[in-house]
Amino acid sequence: MKRRDFLKTSAIAGAALSLNFDNLHAALSSNTIAVEKAPDMVAVMGGEPEVMLDKALEALGGISKYIKKGQKVVIKPNIGWDRTPELAGNTNPALVKALVKRCLDAGASKVTVFDHTCDNWQKCYDSSGIAAAVKEAGGIIMPGNDEKYYKPVDLPLGKNLKSTAIHEALIEADAWINVPVLKNHGGAKLTCAMKNYMGIVWDRRFFHQNDLQQCIADVCTWNKKPVLNIVDAYRIMHQNGPQGKSAADIATLKSLIISPNIVAIDTAALGLFNQVKKLEMEAVGHIGKGEEFKLGTTSLDKLTIKRIKI
Amino acid sequence: MKQGALLKWSRVILAILFFLPITFFFVDFSDVLPDSLSRLLDFQIIPALLGGFIGILVLQAVLAFLFGRIYCSVLCPAGILQDIINRLFCIGKKKKKGSRRFLFRKPSNVLRYGLLAVTVILGVFGFTGLVMLLDPYSNFGRIATNLFRPVVMWGNNLIADLFMKMDNYSLYHVTVSTVTTVALVAAFTALLLFVIMVVFRGRLFCNTLCPVGSSLGLISRYSLFRITFDKAGCVQCGKCEYSCKAEAIDAKNMTVDASRCVTCFNCVSSCSKNGLAYKLNPIFKSNKQEALTDLSIDTSALKKPNGRRNFLTTTVAIAGSAPIVSALADNVSTEKEKEIKKWPPITPPGSLSLERFKDKCTACHLCVVQCPSHVLRPTGLEYGLDYLLRPRLAYIDSYCNYECTVCADVCPTDAIKPLTKEEKITTQVGIAKFMIDLCIVHTEKTDCGACSEHCPTQAVHMVPYEGTLTIPNVTEDLCIGCGGCESICPVRPVRAIVIKANTEHLFVDLPEEEEVKEVQIDDFGF
Repeated sequence: MKRRDFLKTSAIAGAALSLNFDNLHAALSSNTIAVEKAPDMVAVMGGEPEVMLDKALEALGGISKYIKKGQKVVIKPNIGWDRTPELAGNTNPALVKALVKRCLDAGASKVTVFDHTCDNWQKCYDSSGIAAAVKEAGGIIMPGNDEKYYKPVDLPLGKNLKSTAIHEALIEADAWINVPVLKNHGGAKLTCAMKNYMGIVWDRRFFHQNDLQQCIADVCTWNKKPVLNIVDAYRIMHQNGPQGKSAADIATLKSLIISPNIVAIDTAALGLFNQVKKLEMEAVGHIGKGEEFKLGTTSLDKLTIKRIKI
Repeated sequence: MKQGALLKWSRVILAILFFLPITFFFVDFSDVLPDSLSRLLDFQIIPALLGGFIGILVLQAVLAFLFGRIYCSVLCPAGILQDIINRLFCIGKKKKKGSRRFLFRKPSNVLRYGLLAVTVILGVFGFTGLVMLLDPYSNFGRIATNLFRPVVMWGNNLIADLFMKMDNYSLYHVTVSTVTTVALVAAFTALLLFVIMVVFRGRLFCNTLCPVGSSLGLISRYSLFRITFDKAGCVQCGKCEYSCKAEAIDAKNMTVDASRCVTCFNCVSSCSKNGLAYKLNPIFKSNKQEALTDLSIDTSALKKPNGRRNFLTTTVAIAGSAPIVSALADNVSTEKEKEIKKWPPITPPGSLSLERFKDKCTACHLCVVQCPSHVLRPTGLEYGLDYLLRPRLAYIDSYCNYECTVCADVCPTDAIKPLTKEEKITTQVGIAKFMIDLCIVHTEKTDCGACSEHCPTQAVHMVPYEGTLTIPNVTEDLCIGCGGCESICPVRPVRAIVIKANTEHLFVDLPEEEEVKEVQIDDFGF
């Protein structure tokens, strides 16, 4: 080995080590070098939303792995409908609240939350309990009701959707976290992490006109990917989605899945959903199309998944 | 304080107390003010007449008989608006010498009573279009809704954009979406008419075109309290005549036309010699001659139409024809669209039927302003003259919120009757008609389901189609015609699912409550 190469390698190795103080610390204290690899996905069951979030983040190696000091962070829940939390039309407000707090604790300079709602945006923000939750946690709840808030972006990898207008909060953000709620969906069949992207764009009509499933995958190719996807499956809507009619559409699973891998997390969420209602993977076309775009994998057996029951 | 000044300033303060909240209510684009503010509008005479609120009508008649046309100078927002225009016009003009010099004119009795008679007769025969066009309150409503409100919204956007830069989202950007061409033309014409009339002739509108003014004039002619000359005190300086917006004071002959007096008290406040006062002076005591001259018809004017009358008729004609021109520009593109356009307009939930709504709505556009979904839009001539300017549910890009009853809560004429939440969610204003040959799922063989997604009752639900595809299906007995489906359907130019109005609203059963089943899972399933 040449001296120069040796120096380079050791510098890289040094830098790599310095990134993971926890493991280094663990290795030093226990005097072993067996470093546990952080899982690709964590699934938690049986706790309250904030408890499950903390367990999951801990298993992933802490939120500071994803949110750095001084970053402008956007959290994108599903706030599509004028529904109370019990009816699970929207992401659980307790989860959003806890996540805003964790991001601020991690040193985020600001945490902004928004959604391009389907029902009247103020009613959605209020009924969902999310506006109040975000304010209590110290975040900013931003409107998404007007075309003015959306800025054009190119999607060079998209097949049908080549460009679209995305909410400016996301365009300006340093990092964003995608926080969908798991629901049945009349059009897309399932709404989870990938489908939640439809709330970051202004023009959804184009999606419906030009192969909904393809366009969902297309918008997910946007180069600014979420640092994490967190699926709220505390309550899921197993029928009459995405709006739901009554409590009969809801199943309380008290679950949460977290992963940076968007295709994998939707695949896993479908698995969870399938225990309540049968739904074929082929019907949820956008997941497969996402894999074709190499946005992630549907082969969960190739991933390290940590499952935690509380 | 002198009686005159006291009366005038009491009138001004009371007028402000009514005018400001009403105006704010009409420009309240973000629903900050409580809906109960609409109770202030209960005093409006035409809405009370059409709504059949006898108590209010009796109260107003008694008020006019006792004190004269208090309505015109305190309660009528269009009256106050004219006073404001007058005030603005006076800016920069010399104060002392009588900033506005009005002169006594003979009343246009043929015009005012003729128009009143035509309005009443048409109304009795079921055509309320004329009263809707002439009602001062509704004209004010249209001006505030379609002119003032957009200005306020643009102002809001400017400030909201500034705030946004500082990460403050207490104000937010809004889009003006409910101002239609016809509403804009109607509002602009009315405002222009007010401005021109006020600038040249003071409260001429109130004493010629206004059906409320003319009706109240018939009562106030005999009012107990009235402006009365004191022949001993009067020095015939003419100040009172110059100050009379109604052009009802003849200082030379020392007469006041009580039928045109709007009780603004400018005259008594302008008089420095106690030459006239507002006092109890029943007609049987006063000069009979005076009353008789008022009633005499100016026949010479009838034979030779003068410039003023021509001006009036022209303005009215322009006001009437402008919406026609704008409606002609609307061209129909396809056969399907033609057919759909023949469907009647969808009236708001609570209006009970198209006919009833047409009879009662004065197109004040308060519901248009207050609708949180911005789904109510003033209509052009596409549904005929008798639906002109009246609001309809237009599912262009929004729909009627499932449990919302705001339009009914604020409607001052009862054209939209108050509904309970339960009644609202079961009132069927129309039925979704699905046209499969236009549907994306059928034509493109791709998933869509936007309509079903937005359906609050799942009257529109997805059923298996080819392969993994599902296609919409409508259960008409569950559909309430809220337009969720139509508003979101991506197909153009004609949407694949469109609401067909019920001209008589129907009631549907509540969607059946499904039993809540406990779901227990112990595994992740992956």
